[in-house]
Amino acid sequence: MKFRNMLLLAAGVAAASGTFAQQAQPKPETLIKWRQSAYQVLAWNGARIKANVEGQYNKDEVVRAANSTAAIANSGLGALFAPGTEQGKGWHDTTVKPELFKDPKKVGELAGNFVREANELAKVAATGDQAAVKAQFGNLGKTCKACHDEFKNKD
Amino acid sequence: MEHGAIWDLPTRLFHWLLVAVGIGAAVTGKIGGNLIEWHGRFGLLILGLIVFRVVWGFVGSDTARFARFVRGPRAVAAYLRGEWQGVGHNPLGALAVLALLALIAAQAASGLFANDDIAFQGPLADLVGKEASDRARAWHSLVFDGLIALAVLHVGAIVFYLRVKGRNLIRPMIDGGEARATGAAPRPHHARSIAAFLIAALVASGAVYAAAGGLLPADAPPAQCAPAAW
Ligand code: HEC
Ligand code: HEM
Ligand code: HEM
Repeated sequence: MKFRNMLLLAAGVAAASGTFAQQAQPKPETLIKWRQSAYQVLAWNGARIKANVEGQYNKDEVVRAANSTAAIANSGLGALFAPGTEQGKGWHDTTVKPELFKDPKKVGELAGNFVREANELAKVAATGDQAAVKAQFGNLGKTCKACHDEFKNKD
Repeated sequence: MEHGAIWDLPTRLFHWLLVAVGIGAAVTGKIGGNLIEWHGRFGLLILGLIVFRVVWGFVGSDTARFARFVRGPRAVAAYLRGEWQGVGHNPLGALAVLALLALIAAQAASGLFANDDIAFQGPLADLVGKEASDRARAWHSLVFDGLIALAVLHVGAIVFYLRVKGRNLIRPMIDGGEARATGAAPRPHHARSIAAFLIAALVASGAVYAAAGGLLPADAPPAQCAPAAW
């Protein structure tokens, strides 16, 4: 009897740890939510940098937004495009194109450009004036667009 | 305005401004970055040009009027048989003109509601919400492909006339040309009143003002949130 209980317990632990092991690999829906959220934060940062370069310039605010952008750019976003997330719903249906998963070289190149310009923006925000930030913000925007043109559906 | 010209000055100005600003809009739209702001301005200008041309199609000179150059299928068939005699757009070309005007209008209209998911949106995007704005973006991109195809066809037809049929249609679009009176087609009557021009310009300006968000309630939330303490 005792032995059987112990066996059952062992089986239970094994089953539970199996479940945990699976939970360490997030569900596709979660991954898609995370990447959509990360991009939304990029959009938030972009919106406040834009407001600052077009109107009253608040350097602290621009530095915060630029640092946040650079941090997200360097966070390893590629991990959120794991196999199994080609289709599906996060906060809403993913708009990623299947090509992104088939052309790692091209994605790597476009993502690399984005990281480079984001880092540069953080640098310019810390040291440069409004005009320099505005110009660099435009350079960053082009790298967002380059990737969207290639790998994001229009709607 | 000059008598006997095929195209009046406003129609010619409309055409070449449209070509210039249209190229500007296409290039800035493709490049993006900070130029997207100019893209929006060029687009609004084009919208104004189109509205002007539509009004001019009712109050302008003969050859600019829709009622005169837009003809039925019988006229198109007659033209294809080589029996058309007239001044201005031929019955087949008229269809291309209408299609061009309609597509350009659709291009500009969809842009007003679109967004780029980066840092720019059309001035009316907030009116329809994000989902509809995303759909407007899809249309904006789709219509552009159609517009390019039609523009290539348009310029191709002009080149075809020049090279194959030996008729230079470009010259009249620049200097107005000289309409010959034939029995079938009297010399075009020209709008002489500056009032017609002013009406068209006024309607176009009003349309641009509204499209740029001029009629939206002024109590919209401020574009810039105050920086937070934390
Ligand atoms: C390496 C490619 C790449 C780069 C660089 C990139 N994006 Fe994206 N972006 C995507 C993809 C792919 C999606 C679609 C994500 C999904 O729906 O699963 C997306 C989606 C978005 C979305 C919509 C998110 C949602 O809720 O669906 C926004 C906003 C966005 N990106 C903003 C930006 C901004 C701003 C930048 C530059 C600062 C940027 N992106 C740079 C690939 C990229
Ligand atoms: C450099 C290239 C171009 C040339 C040489 C050209 C030439 C012409 C000519 C000669 C006409 C008169 C046709 C006729 O005789 O019936 C015309 C009309 C027209 N073209 Fe173009 N065109 C050019 C580019 C474009 C482009 C890019 C567009 C817009 C996408 C455009 C839009 C129109 C429209 C809407 C009309 C009708 C004009 C009216 O009645 O108001 N054209 N063009
Ligand atoms: C007839 C004039 C216009 C032309 C020819 C034009 C053309 C274009 C082109 C070629 C693009 C790039 C799309 C792509 O690469 O797929 C674009 C994007 C865009 N345009 Fe226009 N446009 C016009 C008018 C407007 C207007 C009036 C607005 C709003 C003020 C506008 C807003 C936008 C926006 C928000 C985008 C970004 C959409 C995206 O990311 O795909 N456009 N346009």
